[in-house]
Amino acid sequence: MSHEDNNTVPLPLPQTSQSDIENLITASVQLAPSTVKPACPPSPTTRASIPVSTSPSFPSNPPPSLSKSSTYVPAAPLLHSNDPNANAGRSQPNINTLSEPVRETVKRDMLRIVSNLKLVVFPNPFREDPGKALRDWDLWGPFFFIVFLGLTLSWSASIDKSQVFAVAFALLATGAVILTLNVLLLGGRIIFFQSLSLLGYCLFPLDVGALICMLKDNVVMKMVVVCVTLAWSSWAAYPFISTAVNPRRKALAIYPVLLMYVSVAFLIVAID
Amino acid sequence: MDLNPPSGENYANPRICFFHVLFKAGALAFYILSALFFDSFVIIFVVTVLLSALDFWVVKNVSGRILVGLRWWNEIDDNGESVWKFECLDQESLARMNKKDSWLFWWTLYLTAVVWIFFGIFSLIRFQADYLLVVGVCLTLSIANIVGFTKCRKDAKKQIQQFASQTIANRFSSTIQSAFTVV
Repeated sequence: MSHEDNNTVPLPLPQTSQSDIENLITASVQLAPSTVKPACPPSPTTRASIPVSTSPSFPSNPPPSLSKSSTYVPAAPLLHSNDPNANAGRSQPNINTLSEPVRETVKRDMLRIVSNLKLVVFPNPFREDPGKALRDWDLWGPFFFIVFLGLTLSWSASIDKSQVFAVAFALLATGAVILTLNVLLLGGRIIFFQSLSLLGYCLFPLDVGALICMLKDNVVMKMVVVCVTLAWSSWAAYPFISTAVNPRRKALAIYPVLLMYVSVAFLIVAID
Repeated sequence: MDLNPPSGENYANPRICFFHVLFKAGALAFYILSALFFDSFVIIFVVTVLLSALDFWVVKNVSGRILVGLRWWNEIDDNGESVWKFECLDQESLARMNKKDSWLFWWTLYLTAVVWIFFGIFSLIRFQADYLLVVGVCLTLSIANIVGFTKCRKDAKKQIQQFASQTIANRFSSTIQSAFTVV
């Protein structure tokens, strides 16, 4: 990140000398507005909320399109983002994310997880257009849900707890990856991480079911609860997968997803 | 990159550097020492992966921003295509970054990945599939950060050159124009 390979243009101009060229170079460097040193902890003098349309995400990564972040208005460093089509309106959020305090980043990511959960699992107007709903995918939510499910199953098991956890985690993680590959290989138009994120978020109802089963030990109740949560999970996952593939191949894409959720449901019921 | 930290200045952000190293070292230390104290694999797995994930988040969102002025993320644009975005501060701020900070940042980033690879090889030799799983997850997170920031740095260099040459070209053309109008 140094200037050693700056290309200077050696034009023999009769009216400019070498020192003038150097002056031009230093002037061009100073053209960038004076910026706040990023090393200094920023002290908020004025705060303005600017709706952020994108947010950095975890490759797991979570981004919501609906959260707001505070910005430090006057002294934001100039940014270049690697998008030649970025217009002036888009550059605004970028400035803020590089200089915002840590608290804001945490808050933004938490909000993202909650909003993704609400979009995927609960009824909402976006379900007809699934592509828009999980635009800001993140993998933190799925990570927590998978770990939570593994922990619950492991807690309920009386023997081989470690094995149960490892099996549950590996099954869910590789299952999500394989199901995504299945959709992609069927010619579906879905993005890898978006689908991973979706399949992880749809585990939320099963998490709730596993928790209830862990607390109460009645067999009939367990069956009922697991059936209800299984139906809820499948209902949540269905629109996203089915709209991503060719209508004639919908069943081929949906069936493995349902199979995985059913096997997880069996795990929950059969654990003792 | 040299083995010794650049001398002549102190860390500009000691707290951030500390956190940057804390979670990495914590995950590695827990992984190594846990076998002595804990019988249960579940605890080892959950704590190590959690520390690794926290480290990933800290590096991506906090120390990358503050120590080296880089950031990367993924967006899905209106056409449904996934776009990887890389951004960096302008070259003035980049030049003013503390050298020691960035030395620490890059060294620890690469070093932890190498150490996890060693552990992976050990568990592979010993046929311990569960530990291989843990190492696999932590390694994936480290490598993701390495790839993201390395791409970011290449982009940063490219943009600096582009910006500089563009500005120089603009200034030259305006100088020439003004010269001709005067004449």
